[in-house]
Amino acid sequence: MRKKLLFISVAVLGVILLSACGGTVRGTTWPGLAADETTAYLADTSLVYGINLKDGAEAWRFSDPNDNKAQFYAPPVITPDGLVIVGSAAGKHTLYALNPRDLLTNGDFKNPAVEWTFTGAAAGWVASPLIVEDRLFAPNADGNLYVFDLADGQSQKQPVKVVELGGRLWAQPATDGERLYVTSLDHSVYAVDLASYAVLWQADIAAAIPGSPALGPDGNLYVGSLASKLEQFDPQTGEHQSVLDAEYWLWSTPVLDGDTFYFGDLKGNFYAYEAASGKLNWSIQPDGAITANAILQNDHLLLATESGNLYAIGKDGKTLWFEEVGGKIYTTPVAAGNLILVAPLETDFYLAALDPNGRRVWSFPAEK
Amino acid sequence: MWDLFVSIFINVLLWIYNVIGQNFGIAIILFTILIRIVTWPLNAQQMKSAKAMQDLQNDKEWQAIQKKYAKDREKLAQEQMRLYREKGINPFGSCLPTLIQLPILIGLYQSIIRALAATPLDLLRLSQSINPGFLDVANLIPLNSKFLWMNLGQPEPYYILAIIVAATTYIQSKLTLPPATNPNDQSAAMGQSMAITMPLMLGWFALTFPSGLSVYFITSNLLGIIQYAAQGKANWSNLLPKSMKKGS
Repeated sequence: MRKKLLFISVAVLGVILLSACGGTVRGTTWPGLAADETTAYLADTSLVYGINLKDGAEAWRFSDPNDNKAQFYAPPVITPDGLVIVGSAAGKHTLYALNPRDLLTNGDFKNPAVEWTFTGAAAGWVASPLIVEDRLFAPNADGNLYVFDLADGQSQKQPVKVVELGGRLWAQPATDGERLYVTSLDHSVYAVDLASYAVLWQADIAAAIPGSPALGPDGNLYVGSLASKLEQFDPQTGEHQSVLDAEYWLWSTPVLDGDTFYFGDLKGNFYAYEAASGKLNWSIQPDGAITANAILQNDHLLLATESGNLYAIGKDGKTLWFEEVGGKIYTTPVAAGNLILVAPLETDFYLAALDPNGRRVWSFPAEK
Repeated sequence: MWDLFVSIFINVLLWIYNVIGQNFGIAIILFTILIRIVTWPLNAQQMKSAKAMQDLQNDKEWQAIQKKYAKDREKLAQEQMRLYREKGINPFGSCLPTLIQLPILIGLYQSIIRALAATPLDLLRLSQSINPGFLDVANLIPLNSKFLWMNLGQPEPYYILAIIVAATTYIQSKLTLPPATNPNDQSAAMGQSMAITMPLMLGWFALTFPSGLSVYFITSNLLGIIQYAAQGKANWSNLLPKSMKKGS
């Protein structure tokens, strides 16, 4: 009898531990965050929230009643006419256009109307789409770049073009107005013609690329990779060379200010690289892995680290202040008016708004 | 400590994956063989303990104390412990491999999820689990998660693996059950009960968790069957229906 009890206990413990193996993190990864002048948009687990910037109160929430496996973590994008485009990384892999100006009351909550959906992707939406005039370029983890006409009025959206690239596309593309540059986990950078959607070139750098590409002041394209190198590309031909060796994997997208790129690696180093001269100006190591992009604030940069801190760093590499936000920060913070929005994991709040000096203004509490 | 345990698993799994030409299914199978080799002494101990417990059920002194102290459970327990001591038997010795399986199972589950890195957080955790001096993992990522008809990072949707997991678990459990000679044999009753419970539980695991875990279950079960058979301890008659056993 004792052995039977022991066996049952072990089995139950096993089920509990296996079920809880994702750790204490809600959902499967870190949330996606975006904002406009009035509202913060947080894509987090099965919900997308609209949160008033003024007081941190929930304005609306969205979940798909027809897809209980939907998971949102791609940062939403906002169209010029106010639609919130967000894709699900799981379930039916639907891409949604939500209309927050058309709210429906549902019990205690308000839900935005769904303006259109697209359900034809074979995998999840991890990357944020890019809007170029009236077209939406949406990279998917199935390796395809879906191009939509935002002005076609369809409620069941069909892409005007599916550009077959390859691998898993996890990052928002960049554009110089002529070409679109797309990075992939299959070790490739692709250049796609914005007019014809033809793939102009593909370059293999022998390492996965989880972050977005960045255009430099010299007209070149810069990409960080899991090979721990910053690669420089000729945007015309795709010819490339390594211009900087980081200590470890590069995830965040380089942020440009004047001639200088700022970016971090997963060992927590933060680099200032001068593109014109090819010189590393400085590097510091605040604390914790850096997956979030730095954000520019007039005379300084804001940098969030895995350790849950937000740093204000001068352009000379000196720390001006830091604030212990809490939890672990992987999501790129967003500057919205006078607020800095931070969405950490493993805390009792989903979103915090800080003032320009790092003082907490409000928090958006976690679901009970 | 736990992270170190999972890190070792991941590094070994990825090393095998790299050496054999980047097939994650084969890497899991070879990793399972490695685990069985490492835990071989424990499995051998389990078989020894199970056999000793079985023999004890037929021991005259054991049967006498069962009868004598049938109404005094405390005294019965004391006498049972005395007999265990005298005969050098650890009553929980046959449970140890089951307990050992649990951290291996959980560690392997976490290793598969991290290695296949379906989400950004999994990829980040993978970066923090690997030893860059040991392996050039950046070049291996993303891992090929396809094996036969399966995506090893997702549960298998056709129930095929769940059925194979349940069947091989059932066969392994049945083969290791000694013939019950004593109708009051608690150990045999427990074994019969486990032979039903375990296949159902692992079958459910196969339906719920990534199919890479099912590959581990199936390989481990088949190796267990081979191990018992090689040692001449497989009780093949247990697989026959009762009516056929009587006739034979």
